[in-house]
Amino acid sequence: MLDHKSISSSELIQETFRLAKQYQDLNCFVTMNEDRGIKKAHSIDQADSSHSQLSGIPMAQKDLFCTEGLRTTCSSKILSNFIPPYTATAVQKLEEAGSIIVGKTNMDEFAMGSSNETSYFGNVHNPWRKGYVPGGSSGGSAAAVAAGIVSAATGTDTGGSIRQPAAHCGITGLKPTYGRVSRWGMIAFASSLDQAGPLARTAEDCAILLNAMSGHDLKDTTSLDVETPDFLASINQPVKGLKIGIIKEFDLGDLDSEVQARFEESKNLYEKLGAEFIEISLPNISASVPTYYSIAPAECSSNLSRFDGVRFGHRADNTEDLNDLYIKSRSEGFGEEVKRRILIGTYALSAGYYDAYYKKAQQVRRLIKNDFEEAFNSVDLMMTPTSPNTAFAFGSKGAQNPIELYLEDLFTISSNLAGLPAISIPHGMVHSLPSGLQLIGNFLQEDKILNAAHIFQQNSEFHLAKPSMEDF
Amino acid sequence: MDQETVRTICYLARLEIDKEKSEKIENDLETIIQLIGGLQAIDTSEVEPLYSPLEKTALKHEDIEASDNQKEKFLKNAAASNKDYFLVPRVVE
Amino acid sequence: MTWETVIGLETHVQLSTKTKLFSRASTTFGKSPNTNVNLIDCGLPGVLPSVNKEAFYKAIRFGMAVGAQINQTSIFDRKNYFYADLPKGYQITQMDLPIVLGGTIDIEAGDGIKTVNITRAHLEEDAGKSIHDEFDGYSAIDLNRAGTPLLEIVSEPEISNAKEAVAYMKAMHQLVTYLDVSDGNMAQGSLRCDANVSIRKNGDKELGTRTEIKNINSFKFVEKAINFEIKRQIKVLESGEKVTQETRLYDSVKDETRPMRSKEFANDYRYFPEPDLLPVVISDEEMQKIKDEFPELPNEKEIRYQKQFKLSAYDAQIIASSKSMADFFESAAKQTKNYTLLSNWLIGEVSAYLNKELIEINESKLNVDNVAMLINRIDDQTISGKIGKTIFEEMCINGTSPDEIIESQGLKQISDDGAIEEIIDTVIKDNSPQVKAYLEGKDKLFGFFVGQVMKLTQGKANPTAVNTILKEKLKK
Repeated sequence: MLDHKSISSSELIQETFRLAKQYQDLNCFVTMNEDRGIKKAHSIDQADSSHSQLSGIPMAQKDLFCTEGLRTTCSSKILSNFIPPYTATAVQKLEEAGSIIVGKTNMDEFAMGSSNETSYFGNVHNPWRKGYVPGGSSGGSAAAVAAGIVSAATGTDTGGSIRQPAAHCGITGLKPTYGRVSRWGMIAFASSLDQAGPLARTAEDCAILLNAMSGHDLKDTTSLDVETPDFLASINQPVKGLKIGIIKEFDLGDLDSEVQARFEESKNLYEKLGAEFIEISLPNISASVPTYYSIAPAECSSNLSRFDGVRFGHRADNTEDLNDLYIKSRSEGFGEEVKRRILIGTYALSAGYYDAYYKKAQQVRRLIKNDFEEAFNSVDLMMTPTSPNTAFAFGSKGAQNPIELYLEDLFTISSNLAGLPAISIPHGMVHSLPSGLQLIGNFLQEDKILNAAHIFQQNSEFHLAKPSMEDF
Repeated sequence: MDQETVRTICYLARLEIDKEKSEKIENDLETIIQLIGGLQAIDTSEVEPLYSPLEKTALKHEDIEASDNQKEKFLKNAAASNKDYFLVPRVVE
Repeated sequence: MTWETVIGLETHVQLSTKTKLFSRASTTFGKSPNTNVNLIDCGLPGVLPSVNKEAFYKAIRFGMAVGAQINQTSIFDRKNYFYADLPKGYQITQMDLPIVLGGTIDIEAGDGIKTVNITRAHLEEDAGKSIHDEFDGYSAIDLNRAGTPLLEIVSEPEISNAKEAVAYMKAMHQLVTYLDVSDGNMAQGSLRCDANVSIRKNGDKELGTRTEIKNINSFKFVEKAINFEIKRQIKVLESGEKVTQETRLYDSVKDETRPMRSKEFANDYRYFPEPDLLPVVISDEEMQKIKDEFPELPNEKEIRYQKQFKLSAYDAQIIASSKSMADFFESAAKQTKNYTLLSNWLIGEVSAYLNKELIEINESKLNVDNVAMLINRIDDQTISGKIGKTIFEEMCINGTSPDEIIESQGLKQISDDGAIEEIIDTVIKDNSPQVKAYLEGKDKLFGFFVGQVMKLTQGKANPTAVNTILKEKLKK
């Protein structure tokens, strides 16, 4: 919440742009919104009306959200010149709540990646260590918050793309229940998995942002027609008696000993606060990664067909005919990972393979969802590490074998498949890099995971740690 | 995945792979196919596919016009257009 | 060698909803290019479709009328392919679970009525339009039509010749216009069909290889295209070759079908359920409302016309066979009591004119007020039927009202007995040789005298009065 007595919106936004310039080596922004941003700050300062919680708050918007009149690229060459004629609902709601768009953040191209190394505009650096990945795909947003340029940002999460960069950057990130936030204006990667969500330093700030972003949207048939509760209302509930599930099938014994240690310490903290841990079984959860990598590429192969060079975006020169135009424009415009996923998706949907890959995956998806439903009969929420590893050096993973990077999503992917809300909060360092703790909630129970996250943060200081930024 | 299949799916997706990169891409695809092929081992007989996490049905809207036509803006975004149409290389039917 | 033809028809019916299937852009025909285009129709990044309920209601009305099974829960699927007028690179259609399944339609076939089975009918969005020869080196894309709701109706391959195909299309046309499902305007593309044609030796159980002739948009072309294709396939098989399974287009200028170039490469459409739309459910209440508001069908109208307007069965059937004609009749019948005269004119002069111009009554310059007025003027003897025909011609060309034409051209019928008697006296006086001949038995000359009276009155004399008075005067 901005204290308008101690600092004006205009002062704050100027400071934000100054920091963005100072830390431009992070490469977290693709497009800045200086003129309009400063104008809006000025009008907020002039306005007589009482200020809302987000009034005048500078926000970084992931470059996957259409913003009217402001370039939107999805960090892809194929959209490097795209100016949308409309604004995404989630962003519009945040703007109506008073926030100011600082700029569009860098990301993995079309949200496909777990390290922000596939962007057409270059890698984003982890503010904690130059030359290291911030996580992905919402790497730019996470870095901007972690570096202190902004206190709030949006991201999107299809397989972990909010939670995992939040973990790698030492901040808090929330993926809401599927359907909680409208997908209108959110450039689609995998329609049945994508969700927009907030990134900030604390669970409390995420709750404020989620309050503003959520809501039924008639323009999005997949948005839930439910009342948005006040996510702050129950955020201070004590966690005594809270039942937290530990997933049996996630064998943490293979993880780095420091990662295991942080997890144990967090478990101890919750136990000290009165929570109870129960072992639960999700028998099909180890199938999450192959299931996801059948469904997401399939949906994306279809969603990305509209990028054909005809009505917007990059069009190749010197093409002989329509097919040539398609092939050259798309091949020039898309990066390797995107092409890989389109090809896998095309394959998984093609005649003769549909049943074995796409349909099969959707069947296993139901089994995974059923497992969660069953397990939530005995627990309030579940806890896992957010990621098996911490941030790693550019180019050190996935170059030889793409599956290496896919396995980074091991803990986060299943909640996307089941449509469940999940949050990542910082819970300490591992080899001097941030490590994240994930809490998964039941359908529409963001309030429970925000509450548990908030109480953890009331009783610890990990979320207060800031990188030194001396390399930037 | 044989060459023929790769060529077919590349054409269906209107993508071409550089000759130097083609072997790596084919290997990558092969690896990923193997990964997702692992699902075959799971028994899903009698299981309905879950195409969306939501167990709800579609909204239907009224048949009333609500236009957000921005013809100039739409045409301006295109790489080739005139004042009325999007333009592409001539198609022969 | 006798050959047997097997034809299956896929009819694409553009629904007469005000807005598109998945967006709220208008569907009005004839707008300037790319103006009936919303963000959704343009396939911009980040947009999402949403379902137009009226499209479903119209589809269900069709299903109910043909006695089909209505799937109250139906699903949309994506059909993936690339073409310049397909903005998203996929068409949203219904594959596994369409809204309508089964049903039958009766058609006039040679010696009676034939019942053709319908396989299914589903909703899908139309594509935009490509214009290939207007801009040098370019094809121009107009997305006005993109997203317009289509009902694709698939028949079983039970049609045996081109004439039956036309009858089927005509029956389909009548049904969809009657149900207010579509305006059926083929010139504007509201009704088109793809014909699947194959031939086999008489008595063979197996179907021959079929070809698909796409996008035929008139009854005449349906007949010609199919006849050409049958001849072509027979020629191919009789020369010992095989028919290639392919998609063809009908060229109306050359009166031939030829293979479509763009379909060379076999397309795998990779159908999968549309994740942006969930299953569409039509409630029992909605179903009941559709039933309650069900419009009157042709055969019900026939019966009512016989009762209410005392038309003959034959006349009732003709008037009722076309919705636009039936609507016209009923509106005009509010302004005149001589229903028989009205229906005679509609079936006679009006239909002859419409057939000559190949238009529907609602596409002509004739309006209800004018036609009713014409009937009334004949009925009240202001003009004769013959003069009426002259006036009618003028009405068709300029849309002027009969009263205006009668006034400006002085066409009022002379019905005053005194005036007629005077003229008849003149004719008798001036034609004494013929009078003599008539009185001596040449009865045929009566028509001559009538003709002379008409000549002197420029055709305006009331024929009945002329006959009566002339008979009196020429009494032998």
